[in-house]
Amino acid sequence: MNTVPFSLRRVGLIAGVTLHEALRQKLLHALVLIAAGLVLGVRALRDFNFGVSELKFIADFGDGAIAGFGAALTIALTAQLFFSEIEHRTALTLLAKPVWRTEFLLGKFLGVAAVAFTFCGLLTATLVGVLEQRQLELQVDQPDAWVVSHAVNFGMLWVAAYLHALKLALLAAGTLLAASFAQTQIFAVMAGGAGFVICHLQGLAQAAYERNGASLMTALATLIHWIFPDFQRFALPTDGGWTWIGLAQVTAYSGVYVGVALALAVRSFREREV
Amino acid sequence: MKSRLRTLLIAIGSLALTGALLDRMRPADPAATAQRGTLSSSPGAGALLGWLGGFRALAADFLWIRMYAGWEQRDLPGTQTLLSAVVAVDPRPLYFWLNGARILAYDLPVWRIDAEGGYDAVSETRRRVIEIEHARLALAQISAARRVQSDSIALWIEQAHIELNKLGDTAAAAASYRRAWEEKGGPYYAARIYAELLKRDGRNSEAYAWLCALYPQLPRDDEAADAPLVLARIRELERTLRVAPEKAFRPELAVTVGRSL
Repeated sequence: MNTVPFSLRRVGLIAGVTLHEALRQKLLHALVLIAAGLVLGVRALRDFNFGVSELKFIADFGDGAIAGFGAALTIALTAQLFFSEIEHRTALTLLAKPVWRTEFLLGKFLGVAAVAFTFCGLLTATLVGVLEQRQLELQVDQPDAWVVSHAVNFGMLWVAAYLHALKLALLAAGTLLAASFAQTQIFAVMAGGAGFVICHLQGLAQAAYERNGASLMTALATLIHWIFPDFQRFALPTDGGWTWIGLAQVTAYSGVYVGVALALAVRSFREREV
Repeated sequence: MKSRLRTLLIAIGSLALTGALLDRMRPADPAATAQRGTLSSSPGAGALLGWLGGFRALAADFLWIRMYAGWEQRDLPGTQTLLSAVVAVDPRPLYFWLNGARILAYDLPVWRIDAEGGYDAVSETRRRVIEIEHARLALAQISAARRVQSDSIALWIEQAHIELNKLGDTAAAAASYRRAWEEKGGPYYAARIYAELLKRDGRNSEAYAWLCALYPQLPRDDEAADAPLVLARIRELERTLRVAPEKAFRPELAVTVGRSL
């Protein structure tokens, strides 16, 4: 029975401490450096580009670095920060005070989500810088060959960054849910990683089974499709078009799943011996 | 243990319920459905996409290089497999679809014929069987591309080339050239080739009517439109069809109206 009312201030404090702790993690530094290095060094790989314009290739590659390293960072960081509190008994000390378990988990989630959003923002800013510089070079070096339609839509890059951040927030909530059950950090990381893959693939699997008409597998795929959020929804359309309504829908979709996952994590964490 | 199982079941049930409710609220997205179909129709493509995320452009490029290595060795199954893999990993670049279709239609049958002893040893009938088989594969590739590509002009033109040069189906090629012309920004030459193919099929009256309708749409200051050539062909057809001078096409009365065909 909680004797103090729920406090957003305490949530904020825990989120702040989580963010501070995260910034001290070597893992975070390593992943940010690798991802930023990849984005900055992508020009060295442009000779491997065939299918699309060079700028689009760089944008795609940077987008991949943000998605891949962002996911690895979010999953590892969430599990690490959660279990370090358990293993170092700081959670016990904290929860012995008038702090709700909901506040604890929400604070952890918000701290990691802040890292994820900052990561996406930072990497996207780096990518925009690389692209702007290359675009200027191309315009100067090849004024005749320069095609305006090949110019980068920088607004779209920021939309993509926002969508990545939403995905990472979902991953953080999912990993926190797994961690609330899990006995070991490695299990939570593995569950988060598996969840990341399933979230990307489940939509495709469901479409494939629906087309093949295998009723049992279709039912199973549909169940998985419902349980795991569909990350294909976070992909920008191939023509690059996006709408504010579409963005709001994806945000709401992500918000609902995050809310449910966090509520379940709180429920599970309440029953856990810390 | 019981408590953990109960919690797990509650978690699964709650998430499934959430997903089901959100799914009902989801608006239909035909473009996304089409793309899903393309990706998942290639074995393993979904897994690749899931893992690669934005790196798929680079992965597709590496696969394309790998495909070229096989192409140089005339490795038919390897090339064919990698052509499918490239567009499954990254279906966005038109380059992969078009060049893949060209390799399927023009290169692969030559390799097979060479493997069976060369053009002198393989009978004409057998050569046609091989060429038609590969042309159909190329057309299937173009058809798949159309589900994910917005630039349908290049695809219709490529389809027309293959239908004409490999299938030898003049009517189908004519229809494809016409489709290319009818697309917004379709090239003028597609409209001219359409008329030429009608002529080749003996449909001179149709070709004449087509060119007469085409001429007023051709901007006089655009070399690509080549209005004088179209007029020359109209005159040629008038001679063939023995059109009376008073009924002949009068370009001076044809006011340029812009594209309407």
